[in-house]
Amino acid sequence: MNTKYAAPADLGKIQGIAFGLGLLGLIGWVIGVVMSGGHAKDTFFQTYLVAYVFWIGISLGCLGLLMIQYLGGASWGLVIRRPLEAAAHTLVLMLVLFVPIIVGLHSLYEWSHDPSTLSEAARKMVEHKKVWLNPTAFAVRTAVYFAIWLGLAFTLRKFSRQQDENADMGAVQRAQNWSGPGFLFYGLAVTFAAIDWIMSLDLEWFSTIFGMLTIAGQGVLSIAFLIWILVILGKREPMAHVYQPKHFHDLGKLQLALVMVWAYFSFSQLLIIWAGNLPEEIPWYLERFKGPWRYIGMALIFLHFLLPFLLLLSRDLKRDARRLKLVAALLIVMRIVDLLWLIVPEFEHGGQHHTSPAGYVTYVAAVIGLGGIWLGWFFWQLRQRALLPYNDPQLHEALAAGGHH
Amino acid sequence: MADGIQKHEYVDPRPPVLGPGHDLRSVTSKIADIVFMRGFQKGWVFGFAVAFLGALMLFNTIAYLVLKGIGIWGNNIPVGWAFDIINFVWWIGIGHAGTLISAILLLLRQSWRNSINRFAEAMTLFAVACAGLFPALHTGRPWMDYYLFPLPNTMGMWPNFRSPLMWDVFAVSTYATVSALFWFLGLVPDFATMRDTAKHKWQKVIFGMLSMGWRGDARHWSRYETAYLLLAGLSTPLVLSVHTIVSFDFSIGIVPGWHATIFPPYFVAGAVYAGFAMVLTIGIPVRKFYHLEDFITVRHIRNMCKVMLTTGLIVCYGYALEAFFGWYSGNTYELFMMKNRMFGPYGYMYWLLILCNFLVPQLLWFKKMRDSLFWIFVVCMFINVGMWLERFVIIVMSLNRDFLPSSWRMYRPTVFDFSMFFGTIGFFLTLMFLFIRFVPMIPIFEIKVMLPEAKVDEHKVEELTKGKAPVGVTPVPQFGD
Repeated sequence: MNTKYAAPADLGKIQGIAFGLGLLGLIGWVIGVVMSGGHAKDTFFQTYLVAYVFWIGISLGCLGLLMIQYLGGASWGLVIRRPLEAAAHTLVLMLVLFVPIIVGLHSLYEWSHDPSTLSEAARKMVEHKKVWLNPTAFAVRTAVYFAIWLGLAFTLRKFSRQQDENADMGAVQRAQNWSGPGFLFYGLAVTFAAIDWIMSLDLEWFSTIFGMLTIAGQGVLSIAFLIWILVILGKREPMAHVYQPKHFHDLGKLQLALVMVWAYFSFSQLLIIWAGNLPEEIPWYLERFKGPWRYIGMALIFLHFLLPFLLLLSRDLKRDARRLKLVAALLIVMRIVDLLWLIVPEFEHGGQHHTSPAGYVTYVAAVIGLGGIWLGWFFWQLRQRALLPYNDPQLHEALAAGGHH
Repeated sequence: MADGIQKHEYVDPRPPVLGPGHDLRSVTSKIADIVFMRGFQKGWVFGFAVAFLGALMLFNTIAYLVLKGIGIWGNNIPVGWAFDIINFVWWIGIGHAGTLISAILLLLRQSWRNSINRFAEAMTLFAVACAGLFPALHTGRPWMDYYLFPLPNTMGMWPNFRSPLMWDVFAVSTYATVSALFWFLGLVPDFATMRDTAKHKWQKVIFGMLSMGWRGDARHWSRYETAYLLLAGLSTPLVLSVHTIVSFDFSIGIVPGWHATIFPPYFVAGAVYAGFAMVLTIGIPVRKFYHLEDFITVRHIRNMCKVMLTTGLIVCYGYALEAFFGWYSGNTYELFMMKNRMFGPYGYMYWLLILCNFLVPQLLWFKKMRDSLFWIFVVCMFINVGMWLERFVIIVMSLNRDFLPSSWRMYRPTVFDFSMFFGTIGFFLTLMFLFIRFVPMIPIFEIKVMLPEAKVDEHKVEELTKGKAPVGVTPVPQFGD
């Protein structure tokens, strides 16, 4: 292994801190679940789903970015390639962590209920969708999604190792050849996973842009996460002398672009459904225009789009890691809020019961709790290898001072 | 394994963006000679004549249309919109490649765009002109079209601001204006080159006026670069907004087959797909005819193929999801719409669309295909047809069988629908022929920037100036800075 770019020794300590925070989260989560009265089982699975979708968002977003940086062939991808690979590897963990969702299907998805307990309209819908939405098909499809994702993650990892070990110049080309068709299958898998895991919480609602919207949201989250990883690594040798303002500048631009894409997709979906005002579509939004969700939705407009958008327009901010990381932190928090806004109203069944303030805390605790495990896995992976692909022919260009900015 | 960054002899495996053996003079003469050539080549005259016949057909159709009214078209109730809006969307879409190449690829610092941008921008302008004809004439009384704009009037009549058709008026007119400005601005330095190399007095006068006093001063260049970047920044959201709003024309309505949330990105991708296909459809023959292989290289063509493949796949993703959600929604009308699309009376159009836009373009996955001009040309023709079919499938097939079976009616285009459509193709080609002959179709100065002579050796400059900035050189701002 190349020792010049070896991971800093105290990364283990950071891993420990992540674990510790995760443990605190877990404790909070357990308390929240136990305190939720008679709904402990439902509360557990519902909070678990939010946490799961959040963390797999980083795994999947990073896998997608890994393919895109190969396809783009530009040198900006080099400094983030190892964190991307480590994040994509967490999909192994996420496969195991999917088991509770299968177990808790009944607490999450109405389509898994006995049709005779449902209303007439809901029963019709369940009968119609039974071929697609049944526990077996759900599990089989999830297996297929993971086969695609893990297949891609491991194949790309293999090429990357070949480059490290044998200075194999053809490895990048092979990775590129895989990334093209790979991204296609990846995109389809993420789309249908979003339909299965999130959209099917509502029996009736559908939106054809939902898959793309999910991919964009995961992109926003992943870039924000990478900015933080670069900030953490950049405080320590050896990377303290490697990362330059231009690298943060590139990530900042990507963050800006993805924030805009996310807003564009979200706004398109809202405008089209609002203007159509059709009985099968608009209830989904109406539920989110009510009570606290109304303000949370407003917060999404201002804090998931407007504020970060305006801040990220600044060149100075993008080149200054200390300020950029604050925007990234805001976006990470807003991703959690967005997922709550997407998922939680479905568990309130049209306002039959409201999520208490303690309920929201339980959701956040779940995200933190699962995060300890996820981050532990991520840092464990990151420590295994050099932090830069030291045999890549473009590395020189990527690390050159100044650059064309 | 040695420590540190290893420098490998890295040879860029991609073909160059500029053929070998050129210098400043040869670039100018190669491009400018096409304009200064005496007389007309036979091939050009023949092509122009055929195209102009098409344009004449368009003018005749318009005259008859204005005389008789739009009843001469095949539009009926419920298909109140057919060829007119299909052709509008088709042409607007074709225009998008120009803006994408000139603005977005500029911002992304893709220098390979330099030789094709002017050409693609001209295409944008002419395509938008063709597109604009259709809604303007669809009103039946084009002399009343100013009512499309919110002009204060004593009758207190205003357009409906909630209608996406209203938004279209603003989107398309802004787009046309900015594209024209962008195109002209890029031409100014080249007009100056033409003025300076022209042999006849009258040529010097015409190009002199067009170049607006350009002297190639360092300050001129600095301001030029700033203005060009600003316009590029302005055009970028326009590319997205125009086709997004065009997609709202349909998706804001509730007709099954129109009302789909995926429409905005799917229309934008389709527009870029169609636009690149058209750039190649015209670019491949022109490149051969004028021997421009050194400027429009294999690299350009390969890159354009990759853009087509990518955007084509996004479009097909849209088809797949529409079909899936047609079933998943469990909605009677959505379900029927999808069945009607695939197996209804116009079902063959849908399958032709799948052939043209999905099956055939998959050939572009293969490197061999991306290197064969003949096959690329064939694929592009399929895409040109496919993108037209897509709009037919969306527009006519959703309208002719909507909610109420008693109002169903088939749509049949008349001879005037076709003469108008093919007429605009003739008109478009006429303008392209004129452009190629009378304006430098490749930006001379942007090609020169890619020459080895233009590369500044920064170390040498520093040595010569001993760390001081060279006199008269001001740093040029980059977009995103």
